[in-house]
Amino acid sequence: MQKFLADAAEFIPILFQGVVLTIGLTIGSLVISTLLGLVWALMRVSGVWALSGTAKLFVNFIRGIPIIVQLFYIYFVLPDLGITLTAMQAAIIGLGIAYSAYHSENFRAGIEAIDHGQIEAAQSIGMGWWMVMRRVILPQAIRIVLPPYGNIMIMMLKDSSQASTITVAELAMQGKLIASSTFKNTSVFTLVALMYLCMSLPLMALVTYLEKRFSSGQR
Amino acid sequence: MDQTAMIHLQDVHKSFGSNHVLRGFSMAITKGEIVCIIGPSGSGKSTVLRCINGLESYEGGSIHVNGTLVDNKAKSIVAIRQNVSMVFQRFNLFPHRSVLDNVTEGPVFVKGEDAASAQKRGRELLARVGLSDKENAFPRELSGGQQQRVAIARALAMEPQAILFDEPTSALDPELVGEVLSVMRDLAREGMTMIIVTHEIAFAREVADRVIFMDQGVIVEQGPARETLAHPSHPRTQDFLRRVTHPIETD
Repeated sequence: MQKFLADAAEFIPILFQGVVLTIGLTIGSLVISTLLGLVWALMRVSGVWALSGTAKLFVNFIRGIPIIVQLFYIYFVLPDLGITLTAMQAAIIGLGIAYSAYHSENFRAGIEAIDHGQIEAAQSIGMGWWMVMRRVILPQAIRIVLPPYGNIMIMMLKDSSQASTITVAELAMQGKLIASSTFKNTSVFTLVALMYLCMSLPLMALVTYLEKRFSSGQR
Repeated sequence: MDQTAMIHLQDVHKSFGSNHVLRGFSMAITKGEIVCIIGPSGSGKSTVLRCINGLESYEGGSIHVNGTLVDNKAKSIVAIRQNVSMVFQRFNLFPHRSVLDNVTEGPVFVKGEDAASAQKRGRELLARVGLSDKENAFPRELSGGQQQRVAIARALAMEPQAILFDEPTSALDPELVGEVLSVMRDLAREGMTMIIVTHEIAFAREVADRVIFMDQGVIVEQGPARETLAHPSHPRTQDFLRRVTHPIETD
């Protein structure tokens, strides 16, 4: 234990650099994936054949390819097409696109769970498609979507470690680098695991809080 | 086309897949008229209302409201819907908004009325349907009859020229039917144009100017409410009325 604490004091500052990148990566790709996921979901429920077909095709395409391959593609193949990105940019975009597929399915389920009668009632007072979405469907869908959304968020935090495969020195990568140079595998990977836990546990608490908040009062 | 008619349906056809629901349906409603549409389930009564409001498209014939063709793919449908409100069988209130917000939603967000005046009018409408004390309640806290009265207030808030009622009391417990009918009776007295799909024959007899009996997508018989309901001439109408008014008797 004494030895572990000594190692911790030595490695935490280095690992912390990884934590910063992990958090940046997670937040960046969360924003991208949420917005893109919402776009796919709205396309899916638009009722316009071309839009819903495109979104469906795209989502299945993304879901069918491992995240790691998508990252390789963006980081190593796009430069051949003249698009060069930094490792961090590629990782944020790659994770963002990959996870937009999961968000989209979640959002779509939430939207489709709203009773169709309400949509008709909204239309019958003269609301257009977008206003029905904004005033009637989305405010209610949020409550349905939130718990799975939180879980996807936690999955993203953990999957951000895949960015290490395209040289982003996030937490997992930093851990591996220290471990391979010091051979203190036990201390290092225990610290890495604890640090991931320290980040995901508050997220889990946040999800629980939001679930409670949205379920009280109105339905 | 009948120029005096506010709502005019001419030879309307509508199918759901292979099910031909409306088979050449025509009717004209003048301003201030109250028409009850009765008939067995599946006869296309609700579909008529849903087509007038553009909630369903139709394949043949034409529907005009105040001379404008009803086409739910056209921009004009918004104006038509503001002029012709709809009250649904299952109320369809917005569960995430308070009673008052349900009523003011249309005026504020569709018509762009300012919130304060919409609320003032909303409260007056709630008073009119007897729910002044419920303005801050949420729909799930109300009985079915109260919810339907809120839905009527919501329809009235758009200041429509006509209201379509799609079986407004069919989802209610029997003891709650009266309160909704009484609100509708008041509206009728005030001269509102109403098309009511209903199974409440006594109500139709009392309130309607005209009764239309529909079966299999066409009008079988129509005429002044009292007379038609008392002395239906068509055997199918006679049979239907006998079943509705004496549900327990068998042949």
